[in-house]
Amino acid sequence: MALADVCGLKSTDFQARSLGLSCSSFDLYNALESSEKFSIPFNIDPLENLKYFTEKDSNVKIHFDHGTTTLAFKFQHGVVVAVDSRATAGPYIASQTVKKVIEINPYLLGTMAGGAADCSYWERVLARQCRIYELRNKERISVAAASKLLANIVYNYKGMGLSMGTMICGYDKRGPGLYYVDSDGERLTNNMFSVGSGSVYAYGVLDSGYKWDLNVEEALDLGQRAIYHATFRDAYSGGVVNLYHMKETGWEFISRTDVADLHYRYQDEKQAKKK
Amino acid sequence: MDILQINQTSDYKKAGPLQAHFNPYSYNGGTVLAIAGENFSVIASDTRLSEGFSIHTRENPKTYKLTDTTVLGACGFHGDVLTLTKVLDARLKIYEQDHHKQMTTGAVAAMLSTMLYHRRFFPYYVYNIVAGLDDEGKGCVYSFDPVGSYEREAYRAGGSASAMLQPLLDNQIGFKNQQGVTRIPLSREKAVNLVKDVFISAAERDIYTGDSILINVITKDGVTDERFPLRRD
Amino acid sequence: MSILAYNGAAVIAMKGKECVAIAADRRFGIQAQTVNTDFQKIFEMGPRVYIGLPGLATDVQTVAQRLQFKLNLYELRENRRIKPKTFMSMVSNLLYERRFGPYFVEPVIAGLDPKTNEPFVASMDLIGCPMVTNDFVVSGTCSEQMYGMCESLWEPDMEPDDLFETISQALLNALDRDAVSGWGAVVYVIEKDKVTRKELKTRMD
Repeated sequence: MALADVCGLKSTDFQARSLGLSCSSFDLYNALESSEKFSIPFNIDPLENLKYFTEKDSNVKIHFDHGTTTLAFKFQHGVVVAVDSRATAGPYIASQTVKKVIEINPYLLGTMAGGAADCSYWERVLARQCRIYELRNKERISVAAASKLLANIVYNYKGMGLSMGTMICGYDKRGPGLYYVDSDGERLTNNMFSVGSGSVYAYGVLDSGYKWDLNVEEALDLGQRAIYHATFRDAYSGGVVNLYHMKETGWEFISRTDVADLHYRYQDEKQAKKK
Repeated sequence: MDILQINQTSDYKKAGPLQAHFNPYSYNGGTVLAIAGENFSVIASDTRLSEGFSIHTRENPKTYKLTDTTVLGACGFHGDVLTLTKVLDARLKIYEQDHHKQMTTGAVAAMLSTMLYHRRFFPYYVYNIVAGLDDEGKGCVYSFDPVGSYEREAYRAGGSASAMLQPLLDNQIGFKNQQGVTRIPLSREKAVNLVKDVFISAAERDIYTGDSILINVITKDGVTDERFPLRRD
Repeated sequence: MSILAYNGAAVIAMKGKECVAIAADRRFGIQAQTVNTDFQKIFEMGPRVYIGLPGLATDVQTVAQRLQFKLNLYELRENRRIKPKTFMSMVSNLLYERRFGPYFVEPVIAGLDPKTNEPFVASMDLIGCPMVTNDFVVSGTCSEQMYGMCESLWEPDMEPDDLFETISQALLNALDRDAVSGWGAVVYVIEKDKVTRKELKTRMD
């Protein structure tokens, strides 16, 4: 019960909506008050509806920002989180400066892959729910619980076209926490995840260099390198590498490095090794 | 499944109810451009409103003054732009009467983001850029995607000619691909001239951009208007 | 995704004062995956005639080879160098032969007339409709971006050094707003007594 309250979910409310039975046609009152209410035209399947602008030959085109490489892994001193910063709309690069790490609160981070708006909106909702949990229970929410809140929220919208693949990273009583949550409702935990179009390349680098007992410097370098190599091979990843370290005391922002600089730095290193 | 295919390839048409498709969107073109300066910001848009190969009007600027220090640039489907600006104006008025002060630019941007996201399953087909001054009086620009993902930036082009304008802004304002240059802060005159130059270029190649531009400069003293003619063909 | 954008490419050619320049990126990718970063897209078709072939990589190489073959025959038969304009007709002809099963390339041609040294730039669609211009031509996956850059940066009668700087800036900044092209760039500046080839340092993402 407490959990459901915390979620702010009235199950009937959500079920009705996900079945497309809601008749909350767009009225001004809703728009002005718009708190939790989503506008869905009566008797219209939202997925069908979105086809107007996601289909190729449609005369109107709405491109949502997509394409990413994000990674996070646990090690003896916490969690390393590294992400790129590119947003693409088709082949066009809409932005090279996106913040794909969402700072939920001082000891929770979320990453952004898939629909940028979906991730930032729902992780903001999550931030609010986590704060409410804190006020009610006089203690911090665990990473497991926080990630489950998010998974439950998005599960209620399953099949409606949400698109997000996120990693919830944190530090709690149980030590470092790392959960993968996506818009299908999947929720997994492991020592290492990478999400997005460039994740295959990032995994390649991570797997070759990963050990539980890396020291902090090695771990941060591994994260940064993995993102760099992904940006090199994957057209839809690029920009800067944003690097975070999750410690017992909460997260710390480490660096923001342009991958163009990284490329030439790593190239020089390679050349120096050859000699 | 087979029956379905036979029906599709058959020369005969069955009498019965047909489902007509209603497309709730169209595309009306237009380009918006915003630049944040040290203590000002510039936001400009062309004034052409078109659909397909025809021009509806040559006198429709796509910038909307929201508060004394905030201007919205919105293009895409004009019907959605009208609804969005109407609701935005109403909510700003409610805020002003509740709080006895005008909303800051940052707050307008955050509110616009949630307003856009609340139409996630039936989106506004609108590309938004908000320009204004931040709490410290510095110029600020926020750009949005149609479902409310937003970001603060130093400069941004949106709409039909955005792909033509953006690389030039990267080069001239962001100093991209320039090595060993001293980064001089952008002056107001230079910003306005740059806006005119890039719009002239866009009007050469983009059929949805032309006729004239309306340039709004936002400073602590308010918003100024300037018109500049573009080619009309 | 269009088949023309399957491998990703960008080519520009520009006219200057008694000189022309042609530039291209160096990526060979398969959709999102970058496979190689030293792919040749500009081909020398004579001492002062160059062709840039953005499009489907397999067709880029086939068209380049078939053009070289045709060109050799031409030079043997006529015993003289080809004019850029004649070469354009040759390319156009080759592409139109495949009107109903085209090569997926949209060529850009740049050169100087072998006798008069008159600068010449032209581009073509994939079935060989030629377009000769007085300023610049662009082709590839980021043509919109390149048009925006060129339209603002280009001016008439540039000296070779200015032309190099202009075409480089136009290409680099356009590439940086396109996901599927970039990863290095190469510029040829063609003057009456020399051709300079320069490789540009670019972002590699």
